[in-house]
This record gives sequence, C-alpha cells and structure tokens, in this order.
Amino acid sequence: MSEVILSATDIVKSFSIKSKKIGKREQVQAVSGVSLDVFRGETLGIVGESGCGKSTLARCLVQLLAATSGSVSFNGTVITGLPRRKLRKHRREMQLIFQDPFASLNPRKRVGDIVAEPLRIHGFGDNEKINARVRELFSLVGLDVNGLQRYPHEFSGGQRQRIGIARALALNPQLVVADEPVSALDVSVQAQVLNLLKDLQEKLALTYIFISHDLGVVRHVSTRVGVMYLGELVELGDADSLYDQPLHPYTEALLSVAPELDDGTQSTRKRIVLSGDVPDPSHKPTGCTFHPRCPYATEKCASEKPAFVAISPSRSVACHYPRA
Amino acid sequence: MPEPLLSVENLQVSFETRAGVVRAVDGLTFSVGEKEVVGIVGESGSGKSVSMYSMLGLLRETNVTIEGSVKFQGREILGLGDDQMQSIRGKDIAMVFQDPMTALTPVYSVGWQIAEQIRAHGTENKQQAHARAIELLAEVGIPDPARRVNQFPHEFSGGMRQRVVIAMALSCNPKLLIADEPTTALDVTTQAQILELMGKLQDTYGSSIVLITHDMGVISEMADRIVVMYAGRPAEMGSRVDVIRTPQHPYTWGLMGAVPRLESKKSRLVTIPGNAVSPLDVPEGCAFAPRCDHRMDICSTRPAMRGTEHQDACWLDGVQKVTFRSERHSA
Ligand SMILES: Nc1ncnc2c1ncn2[C@@H]1O[C@H](COP(=O)(O)OP(=O)(O)O)[C@@H](O)[C@H]1O
Ligand SMILES: Nc1ncnc2c1ncn2[C@@H]1O[C@H](COP(=O)(O)OP(=O)(O)O)[C@@H](O)[C@H]1O
Ligand SMILES: [Mg+2]
Ligand SMILES: [Mg+2]
Repeated sequence: MSEVILSATDIVKSFSIKSKKIGKREQVQAVSGVSLDVFRGETLGIVGESGCGKSTLARCLVQLLAATSGSVSFNGTVITGLPRRKLRKHRREMQLIFQDPFASLNPRKRVGDIVAEPLRIHGFGDNEKINARVRELFSLVGLDVNGLQRYPHEFSGGQRQRIGIARALALNPQLVVADEPVSALDVSVQAQVLNLLKDLQEKLALTYIFISHDLGVVRHVSTRVGVMYLGELVELGDADSLYDQPLHPYTEALLSVAPELDDGTQSTRKRIVLSGDVPDPSHKPTGCTFHPRCPYATEKCASEKPAFVAISPSRSVACHYPRA
Repeated sequence: MPEPLLSVENLQVSFETRAGVVRAVDGLTFSVGEKEVVGIVGESGSGKSVSMYSMLGLLRETNVTIEGSVKFQGREILGLGDDQMQSIRGKDIAMVFQDPMTALTPVYSVGWQIAEQIRAHGTENKQQAHARAIELLAEVGIPDPARRVNQFPHEFSGGMRQRVVIAMALSCNPKLLIADEPTTALDVTTQAQILELMGKLQDTYGSSIVLITHDMGVISEMADRIVVMYAGRPAEMGSRVDVIRTPQHPYTWGLMGAVPRLESKKSRLVTIPGNAVSPLDVPEGCAFAPRCDHRMDICSTRPAMRGTEHQDACWLDGVQKVTFRSERHSA
C-alpha cells in the first residue's frame, strides 16, 4: 500500500444546541471517534444517510472546523491545533468541493474572479500570471474561456460545479475533499462531472475524499469506502469487497435497498427494509448505536459497544456479529 | 380490452412568458390501466410535474394554455370547473408530492387534517373520521398512532410526514394515486420504507399509481410500464421489461448508461454530451438530436411515437437500434 497522506485519530466533534426544554442547551455529537487513514492517490469514499456526520467529519479533516478532540496529521505533520499562520501552507494542499454549485459561488462575482480568488489570496503571482492560470484551469475542467467575464447564474448546474472544481484546483492541492459534489445534478450531467473528476485525478495525481449518500456513485469512484452511521465509522474496506460482501448489518441493509436498474425478471436481491428512523443524535442508543434497528441484534448489542476492528488487512468493522 | 382508468391524449401545456413561449409539455399520450403502476421518468424540467398538475387543474397561472384530452373513467376532465375538479381531486384521484408539507399545514394536528379530508368527501361524523385517521396512521406504519394522531407535522421526521400524506391520500380510497417524486427528499433506507409501503397499499387498496421520478432505478423497481420524457415530449414508452432490457431511444440509453451501478464497476460512465435543451427553444425536429450520437439528416423533422406496446420517437430503424444499443453495452 502506498504512503499515508492524511491520518485521523479518534476525531470527535460536538455542537452545543438549544434543547427542546426551554432555556437549556444540550450537546449533539456529530462525529464520535472516527479514525482513518487516507492513502496517496486513492479515492476514499464516505457514505451514509443525511445527518450521520459526513460533512462535519470532512470539515474537521481539512481544518475548516476545529474538532472537539482527536488529531489529524497531513503528510506526517500534526495539523490539529496549529496556529493559523502555520496551518496556511497545509490548507492550500487540501481543498473542498461543495454540493451546491449555487450557494457556494458568490453571485456578484465574475466566474473568472471566483477562480482567481485563491490565487490572489495565496500570492500566486502578478495579474498576468494569474490570468494565464485561470485560463489553464478553465480548459482543464472543460469550460469555455469566453465565459470568464460572466456571472454564476449564467451557467447551468453542471457548469457551475466545474467552476467550483477549477477553484478548488487553482493552487494545485494534493488532497481534494468533495462533499456531495454531484448530488444536485441531473444524472446525465452527474456522469459528466464524475468522469471529469476521474480524469483530473489521473492527470494531476490527486487524492480524493469523496462524500455522498449515493451508493452507486460512491462505488463508482472509490478505491476504499467508509460507511458512517450516527457519527461513527461502522465499516471501512476495499470498495469491491465491501460492496460484494458487506460486513456490517447497516451496510448490508443500505446496499439491499439502493435502487438499481431492474427489469423484474431476475429479482434475486433480498431487500432488508429497516424499521424506524435514524435516532436523534443528541440521544444516541446505548451499546451499538445501530442495535434498535438491527435485524440481528442481541442483548449484548444493547449494552456493549463493539470496537472498530480489522477483520482482514483490507476490512474493518464495528459489529459484534459481522455478516459473511 | 377494458377502458383504461386514465387516458391522456396529445397533452400540450405551454406558458406565455416574457422571454417567449415555454412548451413545458408537448404531445404526451399515455394511459393507466386498473391497478397499474405507470412510471414517468425524465430529468428536471422535462415536464413531468406540469403534465400532472395540468391534468388535475392545479395550474393556476393565467399565462398557461392547456390542450389535448384527459379522460378519467371515460369522462373528459380537462377543462372541468373548479367545483367538479375539487370533487375528483382528493377523492378519486389523490396526490403525494416531494415535499410533504405541500399537502400538510403546520397549524393543525395530523389527525385533524386527515379527518377533514375524510369528512370533505364522505359522510363520517367527527368521531368516526378521527377513529379512521388513527386506523390509517397505523396502516401506513406510524408507531403509536393513537398518540401521534394528535401531534403536529413538525413533530414528525421527513419519512413519517410522507407516511402521513400517504394516509391522507388513501383516506378516500382513491382509484388513482399520483406521486410526484415522493421519495426524492428522503434517505435511501427511508425511501425503501415508503416504496415498500406504496407497493403494499396498492395491493390492499387496488389503486392505480402514476409515479413520477428522475431516478431510473426507482422507476425500474416500481413500475409496470415506463414513460421516458425529454424536453416535454415522450421519448419512449413500454413495459418495464421492454424499456429496461431493450431500450429503443438513444436518450434512454444515455440515461441508463449514466447511472453508476452497484454491482459492476466501469471505469467511465457513458454520458450524454451537452446540457438539457432550454424549454424556450426546443428544436423543431427531434428535441434530443443536438445531443445525440446517432443524429441523421432526417432528425430535423420531428419523429412521431411509433410502435404498439413498446413505442419510441426516434428515426433509427430497428436494426440500427439493436446495433447501436449493443455497441454501447459492450463499451
Ligand atoms: N453547526 C452545527 N450546529 C449544530 N449541529 C450541527 C451543526 N452542524 C451539523 N450539526 C449536526 O450534526 C449532525 C451531522 O451533520 P452533518 O455532518 O451535516 O451530516 P451529513 O453531512 O452526513 O448529512 C446532524 O445531526 C446535524 O444536525
Ligand atoms: N409557471 C411556469 N411558467 C413558465 N414555465 C414554467 C412554469 N412552470 C413550469 N415551467 C417550465 O416547464 C418545464 C417543465 O417543468 P416541470 O414539469 O416542473 O419539470 P419536471 O417536473 O420534469 O422537473 C420547465 O422547463 C419549467 O421551467
Ligand atoms: Mg452533508
Ligand atoms: Mg417536477
């Protein structure tokens, strides 16, 4: 296996929120002790349903949010708790692409300036050098350079996402964290953006952390996949074997109900439709947090929290009774 | 052959706007049989919602023109007055929307809202309607229905709210349920619950369903028949097996190729080049031609839907379709 580019140890992030009881505040733990390594050149996919902590984890990894506890190291240097000034040179190596290409681009700025912004902030060079770089970035992501002077609303959703990608790549980062980058796009446009991300990864030797709630999309792009539930990483493994033989009952259920093209003539898939809703993260169940919805749960699962352990060199799971 | 429950003939809906005429729906013809699930699939802006709203008299804009024919149980309903439409909507034809709050109001308990719906179309008194509301909540899988019936929409999760809306839709035993992206805002495990529920209720109530979604996977799992729409026009229509197994229209090929699969990992997705057409200037000929890899001269003339059971609007001949489709599959 290649070298570790980013390593997270026991990341916890809590938010203090208004309680339903008037005047009280309570803690909601959005991320509860996630540890993972990201290897150079790979795509680590993170999948899970809304509210499970994917975005919060991503922001903690790239230091846009300070974790409540835990540490992150990047290229061997611990970057959690670094002063701003020292963080800066690491930050430019880690860029984010967001879901909403509408909300993440300033509507009053010309798209050329939007892409140039990180270059200006980080003192990339004089105007001429910046302009040349912006043009280069535009053609890199398949945008027409004639559009540089136009505003975001003059572009379609897919084109706007390309602008966001160009901006993220402006400073030649090593790691790109893409948080639901195609979730707002129609499927034909989504496929174009996924192919673009793949091409860019090859061309620029990028490492990706790719977050999505869409299991098909995650499978398609990922080398390895982590599955999150209620703030925890419940399973992590090589993408192919995780999809072929899920170990965690939650992964198994997710995969069994993900909509698939199906002509109805060879329905061998057994659907596991979970009952109930995901519990409120401010009142997490005891033991294994998945146990109230787990078809295989025993008493042990209600009282004892399963450790996240490696089952094989490429597979880890947090479950007392892993499948398969 | 028995008369279909719903039959839509050459539906045309356009909006007069300052920028020009938006042809939101242009020549949609399809029917829904008894107990049949018809899926309408297409990307955003393809005219799925507008076609349904126009049928039900839900388009209130003054700049809209609706033409064609929509027969429900043999009776023309396009152009019916508000009163008559109201008595059909909610009773014979019920709707479920993407956002459950479209159908709910935040200021009343869910039980009150379901009971109102029942009383508006039936003869039940308040108590009977309340009791029926509890039954319905139980039926759509809401735990502890006798307590939850008195709660307000904000006390329910997104998935539970959609169940409440389904309970409301079913309260009058509708013959037809129109569901417009009912699971698009939901997570996959919740989506699975709602789709399973719709399937189960369809068995019990024997309603027909028109399911609208942009998700080819969802359509293929739920629908008996599938209509694929592009730029307000039908591109292809046929049974689930026919459309999924042997899609005929290059747009359907593109839609299916663009969906990443769970089981097989291809290195590249097949994409449809370009962007969706602007509804303000849909091409004269085939609307898909500018993005189509198999475009021919004749495509500047609009192709009609051709075929009997399995129809498509494409100028390619049968042999070409088979060849091009298999080329794509092996790509
Ligand atoms: N700034 C915040 N303040 C309070 N709670 C938050 C904040 N950000 C996220 N949360 C909560 O943390 C949990 C995880 O959220 P998020 O990371 O956005 O999940 P995901 O990206 O997987 O949908 C949710 O319960 C969410 O409500
Ligand atoms: N009130 C309106 N005025 C003008 N155009 C409209 C109006 N409502 C819908 N449209 C247009 O009609 C087309 C079809 O819309 P819609 O049926 O909502 O698409 P879908 O449901 O398939 O996403 C779109 O191009 C949309 O912009
Ligand atoms: Mg998120
Ligand atoms: Mg719609």
